[in-house]
Amino acid sequence: MLRIRNSILRHVRVSGSVEKRLFAEDGNVLKRLSRQMCTSMGRNPDQIMDQVIGLVKKFDKVDASKVTESADFQKDLSLDSLDRVELVMAFEEEFSIEIPDEKADKLTCCADVAKYIISGAEQKVVEKC
Amino acid sequence: MSATAGYLARRAAQKERVRILYRKALKDTLNWAVHRHLFYQDASDLRERFEANKHVEDPDRIDRLIDAGEASYNKWRHPDPYIVPWAPGGSKFTRNPTPPEGIEIIYNYGREDND
Repeated sequence: MLRIRNSILRHVRVSGSVEKRLFAEDGNVLKRLSRQMCTSMGRNPDQIMDQVIGLVKKFDKVDASKVTESADFQKDLSLDSLDRVELVMAFEEEFSIEIPDEKADKLTCCADVAKYIISGAEQKVVEKC
Repeated sequence: MSATAGYLARRAAQKERVRILYRKALKDTLNWAVHRHLFYQDASDLRERFEANKHVEDPDRIDRLIDAGEASYNKWRHPDPYIVPWAPGGSKFTRNPTPPEGIEIIYNYGREDND
């Protein structure tokens, strides 16, 4: 009985703290809410980075052990231009974003891609408010 | 010297064209594929068509091949392609535009009535 009570209390306390955090800064309530409610924007940069790296590792022409944050797709992972096009399309589908042609050419390593995706998500949050 | 530079510039332009053509064609393949497992086969067929002319050296012949590829892409272009919802032309594009500067909603939840 005591254990149940404790676990319920813990839950209540957690949601209470979330509420407090939400209303601590009045101006940002909407922004924070929209961030919490929408899964695609609620991800933090580290999660996006992990997702990007996981995706590159799953690509069948890549040696998974060589994939790092800064490994160049062309030089270190020995992908040709068409492979990179396929990779960019995989990113587009995974994160449901649209990467324009000229940007797609400049994404040379996982860190670049993660940075681009994060900047796109921020823009979307700003647009929503 | 200038001939070499011109040749290199031409090759770079051709590489760019091939890259963009492949990107467009790959997206279009996904538009035409009803199921994901059909797309895999179509995509590898497309890749084979590009790989078949990988080692062509003559620039004029490359130009002709790219022209033929673009013509065939335009012929088989999907009439109603998938667009990411937030991208221009997508179903959610500018659905909730940012309000103009200086206009904001004050969230004080009914407190204004009690004052």
